[in-house]
Amino acid sequence: MKITLKILFVILLSAASVFPQQKKNTKHSMLNIDCKTCHACQYPTTDDPCLKSCPRLKMVTVYRSPDEAPAITVLNELENKYEPVVFPHRLHAQMSEISGGCITCHHYNTLGPVLPCKRCHSTERKREDVSKPDLMGAYHQQCLTCHRQWSHKTECVSCHKPKVKGKKLNIEQKILSYKQKKHPQIKEPTRIIFETEYKKGKIVTFYHNEHTKLFGLKCVNCHKEENCLRCHDVKNASNQNPAYYDTPVKIHLPKDQHHKICMKCHRENNCSFCHKNKVSETFDHGLRTGWKLNRFHKDLSCKQCHKHGNRFVKRPTACNSCHPDWKPGTFDHKITGLILDDNHSDIDCEDCHIDRDFSKKPTCNNCHDDKSFPKDKPGKED
Amino acid sequence: MAAQNRRDFLKTMGIIGVTAAGFSTSTTKAQEKFKLSEDRIGVLVDTTVCIGCRNCEWACKKVHDLPAGSLEEYNDRSVFENKRRPDEHALTVVNEFENPDNVLLPVDVKVQCMHCEEPACVSACIVNAYTKHPEGPVTWDSDKCIGCRYCMVACPWQIPAFEYDKAIQPNIMKCDFCYDRQQEGKLPACVEICPEEALIFGKRRDLIEIARQKIKREPDRYVDHILGENEVGGTSWLYLAGQNFSKLDFPKLGTDPAPGVTEKIQHGIFAYFIPPISLYALLGGIMWINRGKSKSKEV
Ligand code: SF4
Repeated sequence: MKITLKILFVILLSAASVFPQQKKNTKHSMLNIDCKTCHACQYPTTDDPCLKSCPRLKMVTVYRSPDEAPAITVLNELENKYEPVVFPHRLHAQMSEISGGCITCHHYNTLGPVLPCKRCHSTERKREDVSKPDLMGAYHQQCLTCHRQWSHKTECVSCHKPKVKGKKLNIEQKILSYKQKKHPQIKEPTRIIFETEYKKGKIVTFYHNEHTKLFGLKCVNCHKEENCLRCHDVKNASNQNPAYYDTPVKIHLPKDQHHKICMKCHRENNCSFCHKNKVSETFDHGLRTGWKLNRFHKDLSCKQCHKHGNRFVKRPTACNSCHPDWKPGTFDHKITGLILDDNHSDIDCEDCHIDRDFSKKPTCNNCHDDKSFPKDKPGKED
Repeated sequence: MAAQNRRDFLKTMGIIGVTAAGFSTSTTKAQEKFKLSEDRIGVLVDTTVCIGCRNCEWACKKVHDLPAGSLEEYNDRSVFENKRRPDEHALTVVNEFENPDNVLLPVDVKVQCMHCEEPACVSACIVNAYTKHPEGPVTWDSDKCIGCRYCMVACPWQIPAFEYDKAIQPNIMKCDFCYDRQQEGKLPACVEICPEEALIFGKRRDLIEIARQKIKREPDRYVDHILGENEVGGTSWLYLAGQNFSKLDFPKLGTDPAPGVTEKIQHGIFAYFIPPISLYALLGGIMWINRGKSKSKEV
């Protein structure tokens, strides 16, 4: 009895978190579709949205973040025969980000709350309207399409633990084990050398790690319709052997698709930006832009300076364009590691930093003939 | 293969029969239409959904009192190495085919009696052991059968099987659409157990509409063909697939009802006895002429 109550609680909890009335994504005006696609009447209201029943001809789906998903959903439709299935919902939502998103399962999910399968899929196999599968069919069609691809198995017990007399499945323990589970570590290639058909520059060196670590791209920015096995299949040579990408590989998608992904950011670059005749070096801010990163800037992520959008546009190099409160008199020189002494604390920056170019070594010549930096310092080091 | 030979043989027989009928009389009885209910039922098999779990095979054996073993035994996927046909031990079987679009997602296809709208077996049976029910199912009565096996040859889908290993009272065996269960308001056993609802049970006309919608919604998933909608005049069991049906071992059949041929045989040879008599007369005539010829040569 206690367990049943607990299960009920979990279900209710998860149900509650399935229906958060999210403000974002709920604007009808944002959808560029005919109202009749979903609504049967002319003036749908919140109380009576007169939704057309599914399956509708057009799938209207709205992006949802995986974080909206409940961590765990307990499915207990077959309580007479099997133990409940503890379904790590959020984990699946996170995984789905790389292969279609929540809509992979929650199809026809429009602006309203995300609906659980049960809302549309009947628990009766024998029924009048068979235009959509019953609940058992709907669940299994979703789960097994992926699961049988890597396990090559379809037996019930992979998910349904049979009820054993006198023994109970410890649901709490199961939930806990899922909570600790993380998306498995992905071995990311440092770079991929593509051999292309483009005559004027056959080689495209793609530094994978730079794009993820330095430029801050998420996997899903590029990998959309990906099968999980692409990264997790242990039999796949590219997943196992880091040296796999040291030799040039042929492009695996049609040319246009590769371009489409890269062009999201590189649309203003010309062909030769990527297509070269030899393998390119890693990204160097000084070489690429003419503005070498000093020791303070070197460890910043690109986004900390290039804040606007996904692309990295040229920024002005004057200090106060990023540090607006750095003005003579108010600038605390201590943050550079050197506390100026009284003689130097009030003089203009330009007296030591010629042309206000702070990337170069400061000079003492403007006032002193016999002193030079860094042998002599205008204060003490912090 | 054996069935094929027998069928070829019977086709030849048919041609002789038809020729004979033609010689004797021009009043070959018009083909009788089967009485069908508007609400007749069917099953739509979506082969893009079937996972090849073979639960349906097990459930079928269970309700037909055939040795079934345990459900766990059906997890063994090595059976897919060979293509199987329904027989007297299994009224339905699932075969697996390669999926050219995704090697990891093979295509599984359940095979059983199609329950034709105008069944050749019913027409072929000379003792009326077969019944086409207005609701769809084609059933078979073992008490009437004389074991002639004409139904096996007549079936365009090569479904009826014969209990060759039974010496006394061997039976013809085929899927009966769980007619008895349906009478009790239950679903066919395979439909009931299928975890994927790859077997959609409903009114035939609804199923055709559902199949059309599925193709329209996902044109990349399905080939634009509902197998059984028109084949041999239509069948109660309908199929959807992601590739050409010939790649899934379905025979390529026209839209003409198969009974045409066999029915003519029956009507020609058994229903009226005139054609054979005229055939004998004709043959006799030819012999008589030839005899005359050889005689004249002798002279
Ligand atoms: S039970 Fe359903 S999914 Fe399983 S093999 Fe039969 S038709 Fe396919």
